Amino acid sequence: MKGHLKIFDCACDELRCHHRARIGYLPQKGVVDRNFPVTVLETVMMGRYGTLGLFARPSGKDRKIALDALAHVGMEGHRDSALGHLSGGQQQRVFIARALAQQPDVLLLDEPTTGLDITTQHNVIELVQHLHEELGLTVLLITHDINMIRSRVDRLVLLKTRLYAAGPPADVLKPEILSQVYGKDLVITEKDLVIVEDYHHHH
Amino acid sequence: MIDLLTYDFMQRSLLAAAMVGGLCSVIGVFVVLRGLAFMGAGTAHAAFAGVALGYLMAWPPLLMAILFGLATVWVTGWVEEKGRMKLDVSIGILYTATMALAILFIGLMKTYNAEIYGYLFGNVLAVTSEELGIIAGLSIVVIGAIVLFSKELYFIAFDQEMAEASGVPARRIFFLLLTLIALTVVISLKTVGAILVFAMILIPASTAYQLTHSLSTLTWYSVLIGITCSVGGVLISSYWDIPSGPAIVLLATVLFFVAVIFSPKRQRQSLSTT
Repeated sequence: MKGHLKIFDCACDELRCHHRARIGYLPQKGVVDRNFPVTVLETVMMGRYGTLGLFARPSGKDRKIALDALAHVGMEGHRDSALGHLSGGQQQRVFIARALAQQPDVLLLDEPTTGLDITTQHNVIELVQHLHEELGLTVLLITHDINMIRSRVDRLVLLKTRLYAAGPPADVLKPEILSQVYGKDLVITEKDLVIVEDYHHHH
Repeated sequence: MIDLLTYDFMQRSLLAAAMVGGLCSVIGVFVVLRGLAFMGAGTAHAAFAGVALGYLMAWPPLLMAILFGLATVWVTGWVEEKGRMKLDVSIGILYTATMALAILFIGLMKTYNAEIYGYLFGNVLAVTSEELGIIAGLSIVVIGAIVLFSKELYFIAFDQEMAEASGVPARRIFFLLLTLIALTVVISLKTVGAILVFAMILIPASTAYQLTHSLSTLTWYSVLIGITCSVGGVLISSYWDIPSGPAIVLLATVLFFVAVIFSPKRQRQSLSTT
């Protein structure tokens, strides 16, 4: 299969700064230097910088947008806290707020739940769904955890070095497709779960 | 003490110290946060090699220092970007290679030239009004660029990849930062010397780092500490008749350790571990 990828009617390898500013991006959870001297509000304000462009100085309006973004993720009470003093889940919320402060057309989340405990994982996913419904944002989420998102997404794209399937969850989550990707048999239950189990090898 | 302040040379050197101290401590914030500490040292030695070549060939030393400094930061920046080798390795090589060049250039000179050693160790008390003018002019350029691009500089210092992704031309801003570091080093060469300029860039920002969790507060603390140490160091040096460079740097070092001991960050950590 061959083709060209276009983002906002622009070939993806020619994406310029003002295009990138329209994508709110949450990178994979890196190691945040816990002593890096930055407050929560300063972090979220950085989301405005690309959108503002060079030479423009952040105004009261940008501050308001940043504070609104913090309110959307429920972190407005921590605006003057040191970023490094927050828990992993709280930091993730702040970084989502930074992406929101860009006032993006698309929210691109790269494994937003990795490295978080199970309750926090659910809270983050619920927050993302809430933002999708509240703000009407298109959300593109990359994850290994199909279970977590299966019941919440409109479309699933199954990738493993190549494209295996794309479409509504019901069309993608089929045993014959999944066994190709995972190399193991999967049991798909009616309700909510896709269980990976190599039950053939049980003794 | 008051008598000293009436001398022209004293007023010039205090002014030069305040400007260099302020400039180094502002650029130092980005150097420390972006993890470019070692680059400052490398650039200083490269700039010194430029000075030595300038004297050898009878070319303007300051101009040669700027060229050597810029070449070094751009090459190291390019190497870091390509990820071909670790930054400390590439700087380590350039650092020693440029120092070797400096020694070579000095060795090639037929006569002993005391002026060159002024650039190595610096002497703020010997600053001429012409040099003061150059320091002021270049400081305005560097500070102006930092103010103009402050939001982008902070962003790449925090997370360059993220800055790039959210629409900041991070690569170009990174090379701007490298250029500003090189210019700062050259401006400071005559006053604090190639060996100690590194401390002037590093220590005030690192001291401020101990005291705050806010980027903007950090910057103001750093400038305050930088200017205080430079001016204080010059006063101490003339009062007790000791060399000015070491006086400035040792004063800053003492302040740094005081800040480390009384750092609110450290106290918080020891509280949470008990």
